[in-house]
Amino acid sequence: MKPPAFLYHDPRSIDEAVALLARLDNARLLAGGQSLMPMLNMRYVLPDHIIDLNRIEALAGVRQIGETLRIGAMTRQRDIAEHPLVRSRLPLMVEALGHVGHRQTRNRGTIGGSLCHLDPAAELVAVAANLDATIEIVGPKGARLLPMAEFALGFMTPAIAPDEMVAAVNLPLPAARHGYAFLEMARRHGDFAIVAVAVVLTLDPAGRLATCAITLGGAAAVPRRMAEAETMLRGAAPDALLFGRAAATARAVDALEDAQVPGWYRRQVAETLIERALATAHRRAVAANGMAS
Amino acid sequence: MTRLLEPRAIGMPLERLDGHAKVTGTAPYAFEHALRDPLYLYPLEAAIARGRMTAIDTAEAEALAGVVAVMTPRNAPRLAADDDQELWLLQSEGIHFRGQLVGAVIAQTPEIARHAAALVRIAYEAEPHDAALAADRDDLYKPEQVNPDYAADTDEGDVEAALAAADVAIDATYTTPMEHNNPMEPHTTVAIWEGGVLTLYDSTQGAHSVRTTLAPVFGLAPDKIRIIAPYVGGGFGSKGTAHAHDVLAGLAAQMVPGRPVKFALTRQQMFWLAGYRTPTIQRIRLGAGRDGRLTAIVHEVIEQTARFKEFAEQTATSTRIMYASPNRRTSHRLAKLDVPVPSWMRAPGETPGMFAGEVAMDELAVACGLDPIALRIRNDPAADPQSGKPWSGRKLVECLREGARRFGWDRRAPNPAARREDGWLVGMGVASSTYPAYALPGSRATIRYGEDQRYVVRIGAADIGTGTWTALTQIAADALGCPIEAVRLEIGDSALPHASVEGGSSGINCWGSAIVAAARAFRGQHGAAPVPGAEIGAEMPEDPEAQRFAMHSFGAQFAEVRVNADTGEIRVPRMLGVFSAGRIINPRTARSQFIGGMTMGLSMALHEESVLDPRFGHVVNHDLASYHIAAHADIGDIDAVWLDEVDPHSNPMGSRGIGEIGIVGAAAAIANAAWHATGIRIRDLPITPDKLLA
Repeated sequence: MKPPAFLYHDPRSIDEAVALLARLDNARLLAGGQSLMPMLNMRYVLPDHIIDLNRIEALAGVRQIGETLRIGAMTRQRDIAEHPLVRSRLPLMVEALGHVGHRQTRNRGTIGGSLCHLDPAAELVAVAANLDATIEIVGPKGARLLPMAEFALGFMTPAIAPDEMVAAVNLPLPAARHGYAFLEMARRHGDFAIVAVAVVLTLDPAGRLATCAITLGGAAAVPRRMAEAETMLRGAAPDALLFGRAAATARAVDALEDAQVPGWYRRQVAETLIERALATAHRRAVAANGMAS
Repeated sequence: MTRLLEPRAIGMPLERLDGHAKVTGTAPYAFEHALRDPLYLYPLEAAIARGRMTAIDTAEAEALAGVVAVMTPRNAPRLAADDDQELWLLQSEGIHFRGQLVGAVIAQTPEIARHAAALVRIAYEAEPHDAALAADRDDLYKPEQVNPDYAADTDEGDVEAALAAADVAIDATYTTPMEHNNPMEPHTTVAIWEGGVLTLYDSTQGAHSVRTTLAPVFGLAPDKIRIIAPYVGGGFGSKGTAHAHDVLAGLAAQMVPGRPVKFALTRQQMFWLAGYRTPTIQRIRLGAGRDGRLTAIVHEVIEQTARFKEFAEQTATSTRIMYASPNRRTSHRLAKLDVPVPSWMRAPGETPGMFAGEVAMDELAVACGLDPIALRIRNDPAADPQSGKPWSGRKLVECLREGARRFGWDRRAPNPAARREDGWLVGMGVASSTYPAYALPGSRATIRYGEDQRYVVRIGAADIGTGTWTALTQIAADALGCPIEAVRLEIGDSALPHASVEGGSSGINCWGSAIVAAARAFRGQHGAAPVPGAEIGAEMPEDPEAQRFAMHSFGAQFAEVRVNADTGEIRVPRMLGVFSAGRIINPRTARSQFIGGMTMGLSMALHEESVLDPRFGHVVNHDLASYHIAAHADIGDIDAVWLDEVDPHSNPMGSRGIGEIGIVGAAAAIANAAWHATGIRIRDLPITPDKLLA
């Protein structure tokens, strides 16, 4: 075994898991393990207890409730990408999942694990932010709902207490006829995004932009909604010039710097990707509405 | 002229003889040898870059079930010779670099050893350390020589006067980052100390060179050390010399006599315990007439070494022989830092040096308004500019012309940034390659005719994945005039006749020469129909022509580069290398070597960079997630071809060595192509997308 020694627990119900969380000190929840296991192997985390959620059946599944998609925290990324409801109503999610790791990691990786790990470059985090998701959290005091904007507290820091866990994510579905795009640039396919962009937009009967959501992933500590660009676009007649002006708002983003990627470069790529994503999403929206482009 | 072998088996694309064993997992690598009752070692490593240990608390680790011993400077066996400070382990409390081996846990399982190592508490007295290389340091010094034994500086003519008078001049500074060898098989040693004999199952490029190095360190006669290494999963130079892990395993084995101690470095540890390529800062000045004829070449190099041990990379030596010019100067200056010691990494010297030199030539071609190939042809020297000796066979011009024809160079626009396809800027670049034909002394082979009517050919050579098992068998077959099947080769063991190290692309040249000498002696003594049991040994003879000729291989590398105009993303859809390296013993394995070298060059051009944090003195991206090495998805159509030739002066096979030349010049070809695509000159590797948008 490569990780350091720990005690292993495998609860069969959410209640059992919550009880373990309340009782155990320095415990970690194991979801799909695609981030936690390497971190254990490299000893970046040294928990005394691992609570394995993989045997809690109630945590997995995709369900439509009104105009919301409820996805259980332990639903595998691959199962989400292949789910008929997701494929028909939320193609943005399918496109985003194509950038998440590799086929093998998607077979194990879960949506809840990704949201709780909250890597700034994670695709599912950007999608949740773009759709104004609501996170279902359970703990000793019961369940509570938290908007994604409040869930993503800071760099890899979700707003959950040590004795709480995420049970599901509720994703409001966009209108049936919408346009979308998920674009990403990374050093390698499957790697953490240098910048990722999620866009969902709808058109009014006149072809003007009715709604528009733009989210940058990878650029800042938490997913960044491009509010100024969204306001600029709402109600406007779409054209390349406008998309360029909206994308240019990325120049004001306080972008992450690291050993290999300078912040200015992230801003520049963000601008390019937003422009491309808006054009793609608009083209798709036009097609979905049967309009002439 | 050297008496050449008649080629029958050599030159044939024989499949790897060890291929089946490798793909079926039956070829034992160092860690895999089935040994009874092994113990496992996990090292203790220094957490500061400079200073000393003041206290080591091993109590908790020693109390752990399954821990056999905890070794520290307080209880480690004594070593005998401190000439090589990299190998002078656990003999004092001193710390020279972060990650230095300062002890070890020996335990029943690898898990227990690693866990126990985390329980050892070490207190330090840190001293201020210095790990930042810069060109303006005031403590740069001139080494006595550079690797392996070149003069640090050369100066001929009057470069300053020539530069002042030149019609066209280039003055630019190029940098290459710290880079790490990352062979697939980590550095591994399994050590057994029994009856005063130390046996190491080692992952090494030289069983005998490790033995020669370690014998005085342990105070043992060479025949009391045995190194066994039949299969090695890559080395690239990082396994060319013994490193500290060999000594640590040997010390540990002394504490548990009779028990094998297994020690494999983790991937992370390979970023401080297995050598690396020094970062370089290279200023190049070229002076030329309007016609592009060089009048001055100046190549001044600044690089780093460790304070506790010197390694001076020979970065400018290729410049001494590449092009003709009456005035030439090269120099190497080192900074002594509190860092791990640099070492060999595929074509040390030529690889960083030819990046700078060949980009500078591209810049000169632009400044002169000449095609870069024409500029190189115009400056091709008739004899070695450095020694004045005639070439044993310099065919750089032929390589450039053949490459130009195959690559479609005539379709290249003369101006940069001229071709744009669907948002991508497209360009072509070229660079020259070179590598010396080294002949290391001392290799010996024996040949014995067996009862099974096969010839047992024995030599302690190494196969680090390059194809030695196959190529030496081919050479032996031709030298004996027998079929391949009649040869049974034995290599990879210091108990076999002495073999020089697999380094400097010299392996096949030296070991093959020894085998040919032994075969000729065998036939001379025992004739064509020997009796079973007939045996003879011979040493590689000295090549009388080595002194008369300058022996170097040459090549031309071509690259097509696409740069995304919006994001700066870089793709290399095509690469071609044309090489002149004497006779190719096995085209199948040779092609792998050339393409492997070019791939490593592409990786260097676009990806590889060890980011050293000077505040702590360690490489922050010490894993393959953040230190990206080119993968299949990064490689497009990459091809290597060679001139059909024989070097009549080098050795009986007519070969010059092929292991390293493939990487030389590859990064420059890509940088030159990136310039041609965009008009942006990148002088600092790696060429990342941001640099093409800056």
